[in-house]
Amino acid sequence: MFNIAAKRIIKEIKEVINGDQVEDAALKLELVNDNWMDLRGEFKGPPDTPYEGGAFKLEIKVPETYPFNPPKVRFMTNVWHPNVSSVTGAICLDILKDQWAAALTLRTVMLSIQSLLAAAEPNDPQDAVVATQYKENPELFAKTAKHWTNIYAGGPNHVWEFNRKVEVLIDMGIEEHKARVALSTNDWDIEKATEHLFS
Amino acid sequence: MSVDSDMEYSDNDGDEYGDYYGEQDDCEMETVDQSKTDPEYFLFSCLRVEEVEKLLNESIELLSNSLQITPSLAKVILHAYDWNAQEIIDKYKENPNEVLIHSRVKPRVPSLSANISCSTCAVCATANSTQKYSALTCGHYFCNECWAMHFEVQIMQGVSNTIQCMAQECEVIAPEDFVLSHVAKPTLRDRYQQFMFKDHLKSHPQLRFCPGPNCQWIFRAWVREGARRVECQGCELLTCFSCGAPHHAPTDCITIRLWLTKCADDSETANYISAHTKAREALKKYLHYYERWENHARSLKLEEQTLASLKSRINQKAQLEAEIENLSWKVERAETTDRGDLENQMDIAEKRRTILLKDFLDINTNCASSSKM
Ligand SMILES: [Zn+2]
Ligand SMILES: [Zn+2]
Ligand SMILES: [Zn+2]
Ligand SMILES: [Zn+2]
Repeated sequence: MFNIAAKRIIKEIKEVINGDQVEDAALKLELVNDNWMDLRGEFKGPPDTPYEGGAFKLEIKVPETYPFNPPKVRFMTNVWHPNVSSVTGAICLDILKDQWAAALTLRTVMLSIQSLLAAAEPNDPQDAVVATQYKENPELFAKTAKHWTNIYAGGPNHVWEFNRKVEVLIDMGIEEHKARVALSTNDWDIEKATEHLFS
Repeated sequence: MSVDSDMEYSDNDGDEYGDYYGEQDDCEMETVDQSKTDPEYFLFSCLRVEEVEKLLNESIELLSNSLQITPSLAKVILHAYDWNAQEIIDKYKENPNEVLIHSRVKPRVPSLSANISCSTCAVCATANSTQKYSALTCGHYFCNECWAMHFEVQIMQGVSNTIQCMAQECEVIAPEDFVLSHVAKPTLRDRYQQFMFKDHLKSHPQLRFCPGPNCQWIFRAWVREGARRVECQGCELLTCFSCGAPHHAPTDCITIRLWLTKCADDSETANYISAHTKAREALKKYLHYYERWENHARSLKLEEQTLASLKSRINQKAQLEAEIENLSWKVERAETTDRGDLENQMDIAEKRRTILLKDFLDINTNCASSSKM
């Protein structure tokens, strides 16, 4: 089994490097420390979404029983999305769970995660807070996601209003990421966010 | 999968078969008697593994004969249709394709991308002309080595009846003969068949394994809703046929599941609190229905005597209500140190429950017979 997994991973990396990709997908896949069980993936945020222009990194852990069992994949880049945990980067995606098939590849997994960013499934959320905001305040959600893409994924679109609010909290002595999470989860209400932080 | 044969039980074998093979007329008298003395009486039987195997094989044989299919396929279809052979036969006469698709013997849409050339295996990424390839009805060919590993991984994870094709988005199920033709290791084959049997039991609405530790007896009954007390002939454990939890009438199955979840998890987690709140609501609901029944009973203008006895029951009910209220109040604030106290309180409530249940059902029966249309 060990043999199949290693062989498959090497072939899959080649497939991603040489693959005839659409430019927008721009996938990257590489080994960490020359170990086939530990990989890094990267893809670009889908166009016409709040994630546009960002580069999103994935941690990919390959089990010994690969491809008969799915890889364990999570975001290393902080993402604001209903199906991704804003804390751990865990992803809620069926093909990473019960819909996994041995014939699937890491390339298809990355493409699926990319399209998940473009089409969220708020009724099967990984992050309840984000999902609620997505449903109840879609505009604020999109702005928050864009802000996170700008800060954590190197996206080009600044949301100046949010930058300023984060700075207000930083001036109060709060760590930057903590401040951003508190504001994002409290619909960017500074009072509610500070209450949340100091309670 | 065998059970040590026990002479004491073997002696009774013949009688038991009579009981559950439908000669219910003979035991009618006994049924009536027992149902009078025991308010929670419920018709069921205790079967051994071999007896259940025989029972399942009868359905498999019936289906494979009437549809002219292999027993292996019959198992897949029976599993998908909760072992209702007659329903399958009727539906198959109407539309055989629909039955095969529903039970995932055939793909819903013919797979266009099926790898018919068999020159490379998409799973191991190897092009090997000496390797043998095989496919399910969907036509997704993979090398036999990969099939073997796929089945090994699935079986080790406890999957048996629902092992799927390895292709993306293909839901076709591998039937027993296909799996066994790729699995050589005897231990693995055994394990597969054991899981298969357990899985069949799970999908069979009339059967349930006794939940007693290492107990190999199986209950068979014809009703699977509401609290249903069954007593195991082997380990004497009292459980509920409907849900498998320790017997819990008159509380319903959902309430008891929440209660047990709470007990299993002694820490003060959010789960515990929400589960507990639900259990409490359900207890209240039970009392509410009792109240409604009570009002209904009154409106039937029962004779004075009955009404008098009812009044005393109402008192009892009020007491039980107080006990439960008391109990749930304590549970809500429960700390581990309260455990002994809680158990006492539960004991009191349980005693009242038993007394009340008996009276409750007695009156209910009278009531039902007097209000027959
Ligand atoms: Zn193969
Ligand atoms: Zn298939
Ligand atoms: Zn038992
Ligand atoms: Zn039950």
